[in-house]
Amino acid sequence: MAEAVGMRTRSNAQRWGILAIAALVLFGLSYAAVSTDADGPSLWTRVVSALIGVSVGLGALAVIRSEEISQKLKGVMLLGLAGGLWFGYLVEPKVRSTVVGVVVAIVASALLFVGANSWFNLARAKWPIFGAVTGAAILGFLSLILVGNDIMAMSNTSWLVPIIGIGLGAGFGALLTRAVERSRRLITGIVGGLAIGGFVIAFLRPSAYPAIRTVDIIVWPVVVAAAGAAVSALRGRLWWYGAIAGAIFGLFVAAWLAPDRFGGAVADAVVGTVGLGGLVGLRLGLKPAAEYKRRVEVEQGARAVIFLAPGLLFIGATLVIPTIRTIYLSFLDARSQESVGWANYATVLSDQKALDFSKWTGVFTSSLLWWAVILGLIGLIAGYLSGRSTGEGFRSTGLSVGPMAVGAFLFGLAIFSNFRGTVFNNLWWVFTVTILASAFGLAIAVLADRAKFESVAKSIIFLPMAISFVGASIIWRFVYIARPVQKDQTGILNSAWVWLGKTSTSNAKYVLLAIFLILIAGSGYLAYRAFRAEANGVLFGAGSIVAIFAWFSYRLLGPGLGGIARTVGDKTFTETIIFTQEGPFNNMWLMVVLIWIQTGFTMVIFSAAIKAVPAELIEASRVDGATETQTFWRVTIPQIAPTIGVVTTTLIVLVMKVFDVVKVITNGNFGTEVIANLMWTRGFSEFNLGLGATLAVLLFISILPVMVINIRRMQREAQ
Amino acid sequence: MTTAGLSANTGQGLGDRIQRFIAGIPTWILWALVAIWSMPTVSLFVNSFRTKTAQQSSGFWTFMNDPGALTLDNYTQVLQAGPSGGLWQAVLNSFAIAIPATVIPIAMAAFAAYAFAWIDFKGRGWLFTATVSLLAIPLQTALIPLLQMWSGGAHWTIPFFEKTVTLIPDLDLQGTTIAVWLTHSGFALPFAIFLLHNYISGLPKDLFESAFIDGADHFTIFRTLVLPLSVPVLAAFGIFQFLWTWNDYLIALTMIGSNASALPATVLIAAQAGEFGRLEHVLSAGAFVQMFMPLVVFLALQRFFVRGILAGSVKG
Amino acid sequence: MQRKRGLFALLFALVMVLAACSGDTPAETTAGSSETQAPTETTAATATTGAPVEGGSVTVFGPESSDQEAGAIQAALNEFGDANGITISYSGARDAEEQVNVQLAGGNPPDIFIFPQPGKLADFARNGDVLPLPADVAATTSANWAEAWTVFGNVDGTQYGIPVKADLKSLVWYQPQVFTDKGYEVPTSWDDLKALADTMVANGDTPWCIGIESGPATGWVFTDWVEDLMLRINTVEDYDAWVTNDLAFNSPEVKAVWDEVISVWSKPGAVFAAGGTIAATPFGDNATPLLSGDCLMHRQASFFSSFFSADDIAASPGGPVNVFYFPSVRGDKPVLGAGTLVGAFRDAPEVWAVMSYMSSPEYATARQISQAELNGGTAGETLSGFLSAANGIDPAVYNDLEKSFLDILASAEVVRFDASDLMPASVGAGTFWAEATAVVNGEKSVDDALAAIDASWPAS
Repeated sequence: MAEAVGMRTRSNAQRWGILAIAALVLFGLSYAAVSTDADGPSLWTRVVSALIGVSVGLGALAVIRSEEISQKLKGVMLLGLAGGLWFGYLVEPKVRSTVVGVVVAIVASALLFVGANSWFNLARAKWPIFGAVTGAAILGFLSLILVGNDIMAMSNTSWLVPIIGIGLGAGFGALLTRAVERSRRLITGIVGGLAIGGFVIAFLRPSAYPAIRTVDIIVWPVVVAAAGAAVSALRGRLWWYGAIAGAIFGLFVAAWLAPDRFGGAVADAVVGTVGLGGLVGLRLGLKPAAEYKRRVEVEQGARAVIFLAPGLLFIGATLVIPTIRTIYLSFLDARSQESVGWANYATVLSDQKALDFSKWTGVFTSSLLWWAVILGLIGLIAGYLSGRSTGEGFRSTGLSVGPMAVGAFLFGLAIFSNFRGTVFNNLWWVFTVTILASAFGLAIAVLADRAKFESVAKSIIFLPMAISFVGASIIWRFVYIARPVQKDQTGILNSAWVWLGKTSTSNAKYVLLAIFLILIAGSGYLAYRAFRAEANGVLFGAGSIVAIFAWFSYRLLGPGLGGIARTVGDKTFTETIIFTQEGPFNNMWLMVVLIWIQTGFTMVIFSAAIKAVPAELIEASRVDGATETQTFWRVTIPQIAPTIGVVTTTLIVLVMKVFDVVKVITNGNFGTEVIANLMWTRGFSEFNLGLGATLAVLLFISILPVMVINIRRMQREAQ
Repeated sequence: MTTAGLSANTGQGLGDRIQRFIAGIPTWILWALVAIWSMPTVSLFVNSFRTKTAQQSSGFWTFMNDPGALTLDNYTQVLQAGPSGGLWQAVLNSFAIAIPATVIPIAMAAFAAYAFAWIDFKGRGWLFTATVSLLAIPLQTALIPLLQMWSGGAHWTIPFFEKTVTLIPDLDLQGTTIAVWLTHSGFALPFAIFLLHNYISGLPKDLFESAFIDGADHFTIFRTLVLPLSVPVLAAFGIFQFLWTWNDYLIALTMIGSNASALPATVLIAAQAGEFGRLEHVLSAGAFVQMFMPLVVFLALQRFFVRGILAGSVKG
Repeated sequence: MQRKRGLFALLFALVMVLAACSGDTPAETTAGSSETQAPTETTAATATTGAPVEGGSVTVFGPESSDQEAGAIQAALNEFGDANGITISYSGARDAEEQVNVQLAGGNPPDIFIFPQPGKLADFARNGDVLPLPADVAATTSANWAEAWTVFGNVDGTQYGIPVKADLKSLVWYQPQVFTDKGYEVPTSWDDLKALADTMVANGDTPWCIGIESGPATGWVFTDWVEDLMLRINTVEDYDAWVTNDLAFNSPEVKAVWDEVISVWSKPGAVFAAGGTIAATPFGDNATPLLSGDCLMHRQASFFSSFFSADDIAASPGGPVNVFYFPSVRGDKPVLGAGTLVGAFRDAPEVWAVMSYMSSPEYATARQISQAELNGGTAGETLSGFLSAANGIDPAVYNDLEKSFLDILASAEVVRFDASDLMPASVGAGTFWAEATAVVNGEKSVDDALAAIDASWPAS
C-alpha cells in the first residue's frame, strides 16, 4: 500500500479537477431548480436531485477502486459526498436534521478525542502544564456536576463555582507536579486538598449537608482502610498507601453513599468535604514526584484508554449489559414483575410446538427414506465392487461417495420432514441451507474458475447478497405465488407446473416425451462414455439424469406429470402448489430464499480459496498422471478444507438466527416456526417477555459452541 | 472436472464436435445456474413496470405481448406520501439510519483496533478475545433490554446502599431513527474491531518503529500513518455495514415500531407485503426502490465488498 | 505506575460522585423522566381534568391503517386539535395489537390506543397499564353512548375504555343485479343459504369469496363465522357460557358449529380464494373478486364497505353492492356486533380532552364525512366503512345501507359482541385464531384444535 502513496500524475489531477468543477456546476444548477420551485419541489424533482447527488457522491467514492490514495483524490471524494448530502440538505428536512446531527456528533467526538490526545501529549513534554490541565479538568468537571445537580450553588452566582473550581484545580495540579521533595509535596498536597474541601463546603447547599452516623464514620473508614492496607501489603507495596486509599473510600461511602440522609450539621459537612479533601491531598502528596519514565507510562496508559474507551463503553452499553439483562428477564414472568425461577425454561422445552415427535413413524413410510437407503446401497455396492478390483476393501469414487452423500442428504430430509416443531425446523434450516449453499457455492466457484466471463457470472450469483432478506422474501413471493385455480398462474413455478399438468393430459405430451427421450439418450451416451473412461462422478451424474427423466416419462404417460387437471362443470382446473403453505416441505421453499442469497457468499470465499491453491501442487498432481477430477478431490479439496470449515460455521450461525424470511413470508404459520420468530411471537405478539427472553437465551446458548470454535480458529490464525 | 478422461481436440468430424459439446457442458451448467439465479430478480423488475391488472392476470414473461400494460405508475404511487407514509420518506429514513450507523462504528472501531494492535497495555490479549467473542451474541438476545434502555435509560441500584445510579438517562429514543443506528453501531463494533484489527496489525512493524524514533506519539501515528494506509479496509467495512444496516429489518421493527414517520424502507415494504392482494402492484416497485441503493453500492464497489467478506468471514 | 493508579482511583471516585448525585437528587433536571417512564404510578385522581386545555400534543395509535380509515381518523382528530391548539397525530399499523405490546415493553406506549378487542383492554387494565377514566370523562362517555356499548370498556366495575366505532358482523355482501340476472333469491334461512350455494356450484358459479389472512391476527374471519353460527345453532345462553369458558370449546355444541363452517368452506368449487388458498388470502382481498364476478357472496362485517371504493363499484359489471342478513337457523334474528374502544396510557389534561372528544357524536360525524370522501364520494351517498352507535349523530351523514345497519343494531332482539374479542387475549387473539388457521389449512383436525384451545385458557 505504501508505494501507492507516491503515485500521482498530472493528468489524474486534471481529471479530478474537472470532475470537481462538474460536480459544483451540477450542485448549482439543481440548487437553482429546487429553490425556484414555489410550491416546494415535486416528487420526481426530489427523486432526481437526490439520485444525482448520491451518484456524484458514489462516483467519487468509487475512485477508491483505483487503490490510489492521494490527497487530491480524497478531496474529491469528500466533495462528492458533501455534494450528495448537500442535495438532500436542500430538499429534505429529514436529511437536514440527520446531517446536522451527524456533523455535530462527529465534530464533538473529534474535538473530544483530539483534545484528550493533546492533553496526554503534555504528560511527556510539559509535566506541570499537564498537571494544571488535569487538575482543572477534574475539578471543573466535578463542580459542574455538583452545580448541575443543585448540590453546590449560590443563589445567582452558580457560574462562579466551576470557574473557581477550574482555577483551584489548575493551581493545585501545577503546584503538586512542580514539587519534587517529599516534604514539599506533602504540604502542597494536604493544603491543596483542604482548600478544595473548603471550596466545596463554601458553596455547598445546606440541604445537601450529609447526616453522618457515628457508626458509619468510624466503621467504614477503619474497615476499608484495613482492607486496603492488607491488599497493599499482600501485593508487596507500602501498606499505608493502601490504608489511606481505603480510608478515602470508606469516608466517601460513610458520608455520601448512606441512603437518603441529608440535612446534617455543619460539622458533618466539614468531615465529608474538608476531611475527604485533606485525605485525598495526603494520598497525592505521599506519592513521589513523577520521573520521566513514569510520565511516559501515564501517557501510554491513558492513550490505550482513550483509544479503547469509546468502542468498549459502547459495546458494554449496547451488548453486554442488555445481554445480562435478558438472562435476568428470562427468570421473570410475562411482564417482568415477579421471579418465576426456571419455569420459563420448562415451558419452552416442554412445549409440544418446540419438539414434536408425534409423527416419528412417518420417517419409515417416507419415500425419502427408501430413496436414501437405495442410494446408500448403490454407493456401498459400487465402492466394494471397485474396491475388489483394486484390492482395497472399499474404494471412494464418484460412484460410491456420490450416491451415499445424496442418500445421506435425503435421509436428513426424511428425518426433518417428520420430526416437527420449532427446534427441528431450525435444525432443518441449518442442515439444508448450510449443505446446499456450500455445495452450490463450491460448484459455481469450480465451474466459473477460468471460464469465459467469469466475473460476470460471479457477479450475478453474488448479487442477491446485496438484497435485504425482506426484499428477497418479496421477490420469492412473486416466484411462488399461486393464483386461484380458476385463473391463469402468474408465478413462474406454478405456471410451469400447471403447464406440465395440462400438457400431460393433451396430445402435446408426445412432443414433451420426445424431448425427454433425447435427454435420456444424450445422458445415457455420456454415462456410457464415462463408464468406459472410469469417470465415476460423471457416470453418477449422467446416470441420475437418465433415471430422473425416465421417471418423468413414466409420469407423463401414466399418472400425469405436474398439476393434476380436473374438470368441474365445463371448466378445467389444474391443481397448483401452494409453496409457502403445503407442509412440511414449505419449509424447504423458504430455505431456498436463503440459499439463493448465501450461495454468493460461499462462492466468493471458495473461489478465492481455489485460486489460492499453489499452482505447483496442481502441476505436480498432473505430472503424476491424475485426472482433473482426481486432482480436484485429492489436492484442491484438502487445500481448501479450512475454508470449508469457515464457511459452514459462519453459515450455521447465520442460519440459526433466521428471522426475516419466515416473518415476512409465513409469519411462522403453517408449521414454519423458527426460534427467532417464536421469540418475537412469544415476547411481543403474546406479550410474554419472560418467554421471549428465554428463547433469546436458548438461541444464544445454541449458537455459542459454533462461535467458540470460530473464535478459537481466529486466535490460532492470529498467532 | 467432468471432462476427465475425455480429451478434447480441435478436429472437424462429428465425433470431435460431440467431444467439444461434452467439454462445454460445465459452461452450460454454469450459465443455466446464472439464469436461474437472476430469474427472480428479473421477474420482479419486469413486474414492477406492469399495471396491477396485468400483474394479476399474466406472468411477467408476457410483458412483450402487451406493451400497453407497462407503466411508471407503480413507482409514482409507492413513492408518494399517503396517510400511512410514502416510501420516499422511508428511503430517507433508511439513509438517516445507515449513514450514522456506518460512520460511527468505523471511527470507534479504528481507534480500538489500533489500540489492540499497537499500544502495549496489560490485559490486551484477553480484552481483545473478550471483545471479539461478543460476535457470538445474536442480536435477538439484546433486543428487549435495548428497547427499554433507549426509552427509559439505564438505572442501577447499588446493592446494600439503596442508591439508584443513572448510568444512561431516559432519552426517549424509542420510535426514532437514533435508537436504530445506536443499536446498529453497538452490534457492528465487535466485527468492525476484529476486521480492522486483522488489517492494522498486519501493517509493517518498521513503519511504527521509525515513527517512534522520530518522536511521534500514538495519536500522530494513528492519524498520519494508520488511517491513510487503512482506507481499503475501512471502505470494505463501510460497504459491508452500509448494506447490513440498510437491509436490516428486525432492529428497525423493534426500535421504531409504529412511528410511521421514522420507518425505514424495509419495514415499510414488509408491512405492505402483509396487504399483498391490494398492494401487489406497488409492492414490486417498492421492493425495487428499497433495493436500488444496495445494488448501486454493490455494483460500484463490489471489489471492496468481496474483500470485506473474505477478511471477516466470521460475522455472526 | 503508582501515579496512573492514583489518577484512576480519582476518576473512579468522580464517576461515583456523578452517579450518586444524578441518581438521588430530589430536583432532578433530566427532562421528563418520571412522567414517561411509569405512567401507571400516577393515578386519575390527581389529574387536573377540569382545567382548560390549551396546547400539548397527543399521539393516537390503532389498527386501522388503510389510507381511507387512517386518513379519516386523522382528519376527525384534526378538527378538534386545530380548535384547541393540540397537536394530535394518528398512526395506524396492520399489526398494531403486536406493536402496542412492543411499545409498552419499551416503556413508551402511545397516549391513546384504539383497542380492537375489549379482551385486550381488560388485560391491560388489570395490569395497570391503561388508566381508568376520570369521573368527568366517564360521565361524558355515558352521555354519548348507550350502556350496551360502554359496558365493554368497563373492567371489574371501573370504566377504562370509550367505544369509538361499531361494527355489524352478521352480513353477507352481494350484488343484487347479479342475483337478479342469474335468477338467485336472497336466502332467508340457513338451509336456504346452503342450498343456494349448492345451486351456484352446480351452475358453474363460485358462491363464496373467503380469505382469513390478516398478519398476526390471521384466523379472525373464521372465528367470526363460528360466532355467528354459534348464535344461530345454539342458544344465547350457550354463547354467553362459551365466552366465559363455562362451555368448553370441545363441547358438542361448539364442535357442531366448527364442523358446519368447515363443511361449507371445504365444498369443492364453493370458494374463490384470491391468494390461492383461504389461509393465504388476506381478508381485504375479497372485495375485488366479488366485484369482478369471481364469486357471488362474501360474509363480512359492515366495515368492509371501505374496501369497495366508489370507482371500483362504478367499474364493476355487476353494479352496486348490497348486503343481506346472514340468515338464522331457527327463525329468530340474532346479531353479532363488534367495535373498537380507546384507552389512555398517559394522564394529562390534553389526553383526556381528546378521549372525551373521541366519544362524542362530533368525532363520529367528522370521521364519517371524511371517510366517505376518501372513499371517493360524499357522506350520505357513498359507503364509508365507518359506523358509530354514538347518540346524537345526524342521520344525514349515513347512506341508506348504513342507516339499515344502525336499524338492525338498534332493533335486534339479541345482540352479542364478538366472542373472540371478549375472551382473554391469549385465547381470543391467540389460540382461537391460530388453531382455526391450522384447521382451515388442513394441518389439524377439529378435535385436536378444540382441545388445544381449551388447554390454552389462562389458569385463573
